[in-house]
Amino acid sequence: MKAWERIVIGASMVIFVALLALVYTLGALGYRVPPSTPRDLAMVYLTMTFNPSNPLFSAMAPEAVTAIVWDYRGLDTLFETAVFFLAIIASVALMRGVSLPEKPPSSAEGMSLIVKTVTKLTIGMILAVAASIAFHGHLTPGGGFQGGATAAVAPLVALVVFSVYFLERSGVTKNRMLGLRSAGLLGIGLTAFLVLIGSLLSGGTAFVFQNQPKPAAPIGLPWRIDGALTGGTLFLFNVFEALAVSAGFTIVFLLLAVPEEEAIKVVRGGEDGH
Amino acid sequence: MGINIDTYLFNLLIMTLFANLAISLYGVLARPSLIKKVIALTILSDTANTFAIVVGYRMWPTPTSPPVPPVITRIPPSREYMDWFTARAVDPLPQALVLTAIVIGLAVTLFLVFLTLQIYRLYRTTDVRRIAKLKG
Repeated sequence: MKAWERIVIGASMVIFVALLALVYTLGALGYRVPPSTPRDLAMVYLTMTFNPSNPLFSAMAPEAVTAIVWDYRGLDTLFETAVFFLAIIASVALMRGVSLPEKPPSSAEGMSLIVKTVTKLTIGMILAVAASIAFHGHLTPGGGFQGGATAAVAPLVALVVFSVYFLERSGVTKNRMLGLRSAGLLGIGLTAFLVLIGSLLSGGTAFVFQNQPKPAAPIGLPWRIDGALTGGTLFLFNVFEALAVSAGFTIVFLLLAVPEEEAIKVVRGGEDGH
Repeated sequence: MGINIDTYLFNLLIMTLFANLAISLYGVLARPSLIKKVIALTILSDTANTFAIVVGYRMWPTPTSPPVPPVITRIPPSREYMDWFTARAVDPLPQALVLTAIVIGLAVTLFLVFLTLQIYRLYRTTDVRRIAKLKG
């Protein structure tokens, strides 16, 4: 890199920080950051997230973050799930045709017996914690995204400690994970239309992505079943999102664990020019 | 109006995040290695997420009681509890945006890693200057 290039890059970095500082000083983010009282929008969410006296505007879930993610801004999250879906599909498409060798090499035995035994216990615990995070997303901090990302750690650990061949033998294959992930996405899609379908069958009207009853759309999912809070559609969304996220990450981890020789064989092509 | 230590430290934090943004943009734009671009991109997204969380935080309501998470812990909430809660809870909206951004950022990063991996397998280099000169 030439000297004048260094000077230009350094000066532009300084100018960039100075401009951001100017914007900040002029109060583009409010008079104080962080503010001493939250914004009006935040107050609306905080007072409305669980408000039995105003059920038409409430998501009826005590966790405001999940209420925003899957109720107030549910369509946003649907499209973000679509971005996630596309990123995983693009990774799978880049690695198309790459598969594990028929016969595992003799060195693919994984780590020692001690590590394997500990890992077997730990994987169960990881999955239990992930389920707790995902299925209590409407009550405590957590939800489908976090629970799914936690659950994806279990196959990752198994991949390192055992081997990719072990996972393949125990049924965690790429195609099965693709199926599981598609099932999760299908569940998200169905849940988005659940209230609408129910309303149409009973002759009423409803919104897409509706959770609780709204004006002119009187049907909603129950937010309480036998005294236990469900958050209506939030619980279903969290379950399906956890499924989709964990299976999606597992696919990518499985593809990353394919031996280098196999991948190069496919990428470089054989004698037939592919 | 004097400047107190909290405001000073928060301003320092925000300036640090701005500097971090500049450094990670330098990494994305000026470094030739694709791997370093991906690393800089993760730093960029993490900085942006941290910034969103800081903007959504709130000053301590009193000097001895910190803000609380935006989760209602009493069912059904009484009027007094809701007053207490809204006077202390942080803004939930940036948290909702950041939580999806983290997971999707991870998926996009994995895609970029795959792209870099395949480029390396094909051309034995991750230097964009050399990749740009390749033909066929």
